[in-house]
Amino acid sequence: MILGLAIVLSLSVSALLLHWQDKPARDALVILFQGAFGSWHALEDCTIKAVPIFLCSLGVAVAFRLQVWNIGAEGQFAMGAIGATWVVLQFPQWPAFLLLPAMMAAAALGGGFCGLIPALLKVRLRANEIIVSLMLNYVCILFLEYLVYGPWKDPVSFGFPMTMVFPPAAIVGAIGSSRLNWGLVLALACAVGFWIFFRFSRLGYELKVCGESPRVAGYARLPYHGLVIAVMVTGGALAGWAGFLEVSATLNRLQPSIMVGYGYTAIVVAWLARLSPASIAAASLLLAGLRVGVENLQLEMQVPAAFGGIMEGVLLLTVLAGGFFVRYRVRWRGFS
Amino acid sequence: METAPEPLVRLEGIDKRFGAVHANRRIDLKINSGRIKALLGENGAGKSTLMNILAGRIKPDGGRIHIGAAVHAHLTPRRAIAAGIGMVYQHFTLVDALTVAENVCLGQAAGIWHHPRRSQEQVARLAAAVGLDIDPGATVAGLSMGERQRVEILKLLYRRSRILIFDEPTSVLTPPEIRQLFSALRQMADQGKAIVFISHKLGEVLEIADEIAILRHGQIIDERPAKAFGAREELARRMIGRDVLLEIDRPVVELRQPVLQVEQLDGGGLQQISFQLRQGEILALVGVAGNGQSAMVRTICGLAAPVAGVVRLLGQPWADFFSGAASGLVYIPEDRVGLATCHHLDLVDNFLLTTRRRFCKGPWLQRASATACLEALMVDFDIRPADARLRARQLSGGNLQKLVLAREFHRRPKLIVAEQPTQGLDIGATEDVWRLLLKAREEAGILLVTSDLNEALALADRLAVMYRGRIVDLFSVFDKEKLARIGQMMAGID
Repeated sequence: MILGLAIVLSLSVSALLLHWQDKPARDALVILFQGAFGSWHALEDCTIKAVPIFLCSLGVAVAFRLQVWNIGAEGQFAMGAIGATWVVLQFPQWPAFLLLPAMMAAAALGGGFCGLIPALLKVRLRANEIIVSLMLNYVCILFLEYLVYGPWKDPVSFGFPMTMVFPPAAIVGAIGSSRLNWGLVLALACAVGFWIFFRFSRLGYELKVCGESPRVAGYARLPYHGLVIAVMVTGGALAGWAGFLEVSATLNRLQPSIMVGYGYTAIVVAWLARLSPASIAAASLLLAGLRVGVENLQLEMQVPAAFGGIMEGVLLLTVLAGGFFVRYRVRWRGFS
Repeated sequence: METAPEPLVRLEGIDKRFGAVHANRRIDLKINSGRIKALLGENGAGKSTLMNILAGRIKPDGGRIHIGAAVHAHLTPRRAIAAGIGMVYQHFTLVDALTVAENVCLGQAAGIWHHPRRSQEQVARLAAAVGLDIDPGATVAGLSMGERQRVEILKLLYRRSRILIFDEPTSVLTPPEIRQLFSALRQMADQGKAIVFISHKLGEVLEIADEIAILRHGQIIDERPAKAFGAREELARRMIGRDVLLEIDRPVVELRQPVLQVEQLDGGGLQQISFQLRQGEILALVGVAGNGQSAMVRTICGLAAPVAGVVRLLGQPWADFFSGAASGLVYIPEDRVGLATCHHLDLVDNFLLTTRRRFCKGPWLQRASATACLEALMVDFDIRPADARLRARQLSGGNLQKLVLAREFHRRPKLIVAEQPTQGLDIGATEDVWRLLLKAREEAGILLVTSDLNEALALADRLAVMYRGRIVDLFSVFDKEKLARIGQMMAGID
């Protein structure tokens, strides 16, 4: 309900913005929609983009469940990509059945490590995880750039900042003749695992209680600090897998253009969808569609690229505001 | 009734419902200047609701409020303040980092400049006028509860409030602080202020009030000058509607091994606490709240390590016991809503809070068998409505407490720490909780922390009186001589 209203509202705001730029607003929104969902090709594009967003969002949502605000998916994504690339550069001759699992493990370690830092600082020094994880994003991105501009630069790249192209064994393949890759299956498996975990496991229950009230968690002798660390590391690992898929299946090499802000979009998605994996998937597709659609809009109407970010932001704001109005009712009355 | 002058405030037909609860039923009340009026009633009788309506914090469903010549259907906080109505709440609203004078003048000072010395002088004068002992330059963070309350009073005086409402003001005070408060109340009344004193403590009300209004189930059932009431017993009967001391059968239980041994426990406000609790007995820790009871509970329940001294639980030293599973110990906290249960979760989830390890298979939680177990317990413990899918917030206080007891007793405890277990419950629920505790005594040793002497006398085998972090005396409930002196012990008079 609220989500629907928020979408309508943010679309109207976007239309208004387009109108101010002297673009035909209605046509533009139609182009946006067609670009995103109007054809099989467009849907494929959406799904490809939705997979990393979805994985990052799951990671963010796990932490949100505990009322821990992980804003570091972007950096965790970068560290996942770095971890996976490191394996490829170290063992380029390994066969796929060794290389891919090793890449996944390294990506999870990289992302998880990046989630561990804010978690440890939070429980040990009571540092605010929002600030730490946010700032860590820049550290990770700069580290990634250092690597591709420096030690990992491909000697035959004509000076472009990128690693060598991955060998075929390091590439997650496409499903059949489609452009979708097996990362989609990984994402679906994670979704099912997530759902089962929270529904049936003791740890999932304990996380729910901690999220409801840390005080009650203390009374029930739940290891609150341990759980905070666990969710941040898990979230980091999931975002790391998203980085692994991007670097392996989409780009086939590590380069700075891998950082397109999926980690930030994931925050919007996690907030829109709250906790159920199905709604996270739907919201991921929606925001992926927004990205694809805006690309289309850029081509056809010369709308600036930042427009996608603006729409994303408006959407988040309207949902936040909507949440407020669900909880409170506005009553007008005079002040005396 | 004596011929009173025109009242400052007159409440007429005030009515308020909260859902199914009829908190105030067409209440009429006059508040006169120069008098101390006590509103006496049990927890939940509607005293606080009525006074919150007068302070403009709650909007009544019906009735009128007359202030002088003006008539209002309801007040807002702003209007109440303008009319000279001020309230001292149980929970203080002070800024810890500011001084007394700054707190008093906060939001009241004219102009944009702050004159620390001048405001301190003003506050000192105000305090002296009613005999309140306070240093206007002290920072609030370092003040005792009694001193903080004085700051709240000064805030009202500074605003020139004419009607001062005190919500259970003595619950946080030590006996000497109570003396000082009472003398200040008397002086303020002599200066023409109207004082409303909300309490459920009979002795205090008889001591300080000029007029007593008794509330029961949202109605004023009696209102007379204090002198027109007889002894305490009469007040109690009027307040509760039956004889106050609930007599319940207390079968003799054979004492078995000690479950809690405390020797020379020191620190955290405690001084040289030593006692022993054995399986089969209830030891009541009585005293005015804030005399070290909560520090003791925190230590025994593993939330704070003992600074000095020895605590042994079920025969194990403190550190060993709490580094393990700590099984056998059960804590029934005073805050059943925010600590013992989770408001938004359903009853099964709440049941699993402390019993989850019993309903596990590997990493999986067996919710179905937990639900079945809870449903059986809800019947046994007469928890209504007996629907495990409800959320905790949908249960009444009494039923929620019974749920906590059902859950905790299900763990077959050997040592139970129960903190104010019947606070805020009605008589029926109180009786149920008492019976459950007495039954649990057959299997466990119970440390009952209560500020309700009736409760201690009804349940306990032995009493330990706490004052300023010490156990003043520890004696059997059958020791008539010491029982007679219990009030003096609680007040620290040897």
